[in-house]
Amino acid sequence: MSAGPATTAPALKMGGRRLPPWVATTALLLPAYGWLLIAIFLPLGAMFLFSFMTATPIGNKEIGYTLDQYKIFFTQPYMWQVASWTFQIAFATTLICALAGFLAALALARSGLGRSQWIFLILILLPFWTNGLVRIFSWTMVIREGGFLDAVVQFVLPEAGSVGFLYSRPAIVLGLVHGYLPYMVLTCYIAISTIDDAIVEAAESLGARWWTVLGRILIPMAAPGLIAGSVLIFVPVVGAFMEPRILGGPQGVTLGTVIEDSFTQGFNWPQGAALSFMLLAVVLAIFATFSGVLRRNAQW
Amino acid sequence: MKAFGRLYLCLLIFFLYLPIGVMIAMGFNASPYYQLPFEFSTRWWNELWQNQDLLEAGRNSVIVAVIVTLIATPIGTAGAVALHRREFPGRNFLRVMLLPPIAIPWLITGTAMLVMFYWSGVGRGFHAMLIGHVALAIPYVVLVVSTGLQTIRQDLEEAAMSLGSTPVHAFFRVTLPLLTPSIIGAALFAFAVSLDQFVISYFLATPGYTTLPVKIYSAIRKGFTPDINIISTVLLLASMALVLVYAVFSKFGAGNVRR
Amino acid sequence: MSDVNLTGIAKSYGGSPVLTDISVSFPSGSFTSLLGPSGSGKTTLLRIIAGFITPEAGAVTIGAEDVTRVPVWARNIGMVFQSYALFPHMTVRDNVAFGLGRRGVKGAEAKRRVDEALEMVRLPGFADRLPKQLSGGQQQRVAMARAIVTEPKVLLLDEPLSALDRRLRQEMQVELLSLQREIGVTTIFVTHDQEEALTLSDQVAILDRGRIVQMGAPAAIYERPATRFAAEFLGDANFFTGRVESGAVAVAGSRITAPDLPEGREVTLAVRPEKISLGAGENGGNRVQARVLNAIYAGANLTYLMEGPGGMGLKVFAQNADGVILPKGAEVTLHWSPDHTILVED
Repeated sequence: MSAGPATTAPALKMGGRRLPPWVATTALLLPAYGWLLIAIFLPLGAMFLFSFMTATPIGNKEIGYTLDQYKIFFTQPYMWQVASWTFQIAFATTLICALAGFLAALALARSGLGRSQWIFLILILLPFWTNGLVRIFSWTMVIREGGFLDAVVQFVLPEAGSVGFLYSRPAIVLGLVHGYLPYMVLTCYIAISTIDDAIVEAAESLGARWWTVLGRILIPMAAPGLIAGSVLIFVPVVGAFMEPRILGGPQGVTLGTVIEDSFTQGFNWPQGAALSFMLLAVVLAIFATFSGVLRRNAQW
Repeated sequence: MKAFGRLYLCLLIFFLYLPIGVMIAMGFNASPYYQLPFEFSTRWWNELWQNQDLLEAGRNSVIVAVIVTLIATPIGTAGAVALHRREFPGRNFLRVMLLPPIAIPWLITGTAMLVMFYWSGVGRGFHAMLIGHVALAIPYVVLVVSTGLQTIRQDLEEAAMSLGSTPVHAFFRVTLPLLTPSIIGAALFAFAVSLDQFVISYFLATPGYTTLPVKIYSAIRKGFTPDINIISTVLLLASMALVLVYAVFSKFGAGNVRR
Repeated sequence: MSDVNLTGIAKSYGGSPVLTDISVSFPSGSFTSLLGPSGSGKTTLLRIIAGFITPEAGAVTIGAEDVTRVPVWARNIGMVFQSYALFPHMTVRDNVAFGLGRRGVKGAEAKRRVDEALEMVRLPGFADRLPKQLSGGQQQRVAMARAIVTEPKVLLLDEPLSALDRRLRQEMQVELLSLQREIGVTTIFVTHDQEEALTLSDQVAILDRGRIVQMGAPAAIYERPATRFAAEFLGDANFFTGRVESGAVAVAGSRITAPDLPEGREVTLAVRPEKISLGAGENGGNRVQARVLNAIYAGANLTYLMEGPGGMGLKVFAQNADGVILPKGAEVTLHWSPDHTILVED
């Protein structure tokens, strides 16, 4: 927007000087990107620098620079175990979400729901926009020993013992699936709803049975949605720390909780920074690998 | 097949809402240890009004969210207008640069902010949270407003200019009124993002200044009573209401522009 | 009311020229069509006159004023857009009054002029509706009213009728023309519809790849196209090519002649399909033998696709005067006057 002088004059004589267009463009963009630079990109840079320090630079401590923080996987073999748990949880969550989410999208799009499709979709997506912490917390009420689940089981089988599984890795996966499933439903639904009914009818007219339609048409055409959903779930899940803490308890040691601890408990920021950056590298690698699919799915 | 599909969807929705329902119900259970059988009581509501800590955290959350909304909405709107209506080199790069705040796990962004703010002397607390939340909200505002801008024909501004409007006047008289529903939607979005934000707040909170999600988290870890359920319920219903209002507004926006 | 003059206008995008050395004059009160295929630069030219685009070279004058560096909002133009670009959040009255407001005309005076303009486009009583409550044709009229109410020096129309269906388009053409005659504003009209250009204009400018290849009155351009492109783009044409020897071009045994042929040069001759008649005609006319390949029956008239001398394709329009359609394979003689044989540039 180049600013011209205000006009109340009767004639259109407000040509005036025009500012070069880049001035206005910069003025419009600067607040947003300046803010992102200060609050996101500079901190990431600062953390990168931190990850090479020998100790947290607090007080008058002598600070040196080292690569040691990145050697944690060799100095503490236990970290391999943590990484393995983290990725097991992430893969399990993504896989369950993919399966359940694809089926839900399929059911939404092809159960002849008509206009009530939207009601179902909104009902599925609504919890997604609520506080994740609260939803994770709510699971503790259900799966704890003597919780809601136990009450139901004991109502049916009074002799049964507790089936509560709070503070276990399956509990973490359950909570994460609950948290991220709507993502997968949405991305798959968008992919599947673009499939023309005529394509399925054409396949059926050529003699395809439902499993052929599923395997040769629906799954391949929904693949971009499945991949996008998987990436969008896998990435935050490998970085999760609140869910493992609350639902995993002592069992819930993941890369996320280790990073959290090094910032809030151990006060070993360089170590946490190095771990964060290794995690970020994994995340960026995933995005780079699937950027093509993700871009095609993006709305703009 | 179709009946099976519907049954599956109903089971899925049951799964999604079950823990939420249980949590809300437990806020009305008399036992402080969530003991069953259920015994209806409103004592935790009364307890909540006594819990100054929790109420203050709630107040902080709302105040931060309001300020974040007031800052992020105009900034993001300006950015969206530039990204959508102006030609300049590096436009696609800037679009991509909106994604990291959304896509990078908040654990990483949050700890990075902690490091930076601590190191640079900005420190933690209210202002740090504000800086962090606005940064998270900006990309959402840009995305929502951009979607709105796409539905507004660019030749409307050209028509205004052909009738004697300067570009600034054309924007304020023509584009902005048409964009208002999207901007309100974006503001609601920014508010919800800030209100629900836990991870970043967690790393930037101080013992003296926390927001509700942070308070809930530390309560869950330290041992808690059902008043947490009550305040969680309030938070949950607030976000749901925001989303529904947003949905109504974005629909209204689309209807206003359609010819 | 003012004349508009362009001198030496040039514009390129990313190195490839869109307009090259355009010099053209639009007399005061005239109606000129810019006609060309998409990508010919006609819309770019209109937007340069409007002021949305600044040319890299050349000057634009409206009346006595050089407006090349004057931004669009200070040029006092009226413009009608292809999509009409009515402001959807304003009533018809507010839409039409928009330009008046920018010129400081408010209150009763503005109301009077809006009503007058709506009267002119035959939409009285529609002032309080919203654009979305109007039909396509009505929206088009509102867009016209909005463009003329400010009494602009020049009226620019960017394919304003292309969104209407055929019937309505023809109706609106008539109205547009009478409205333009009534207010006498210099009008520049961009279209890719040749019939529309011929019907409406005092003069037609044909654009091809960023140049004006021919400009003149509709009849002059149609009857005497200067280039092969102009002949083909405006109407249909048959072409004969060859070397001029003793005043005629020999095409597979037939001699085709035209006035003032340059001796010994390779030339292209164009003949409009409706100028060709069936039969031998009088002596001294051009004459070729042809065989009917296909007859396209369209009620009042017929189009014959024929194979002419040396296997070349020929198109002939015939009136359906006697209800007889030549069968496929029929051998006929075709004739036309040398005066209707036009020497065109390739």
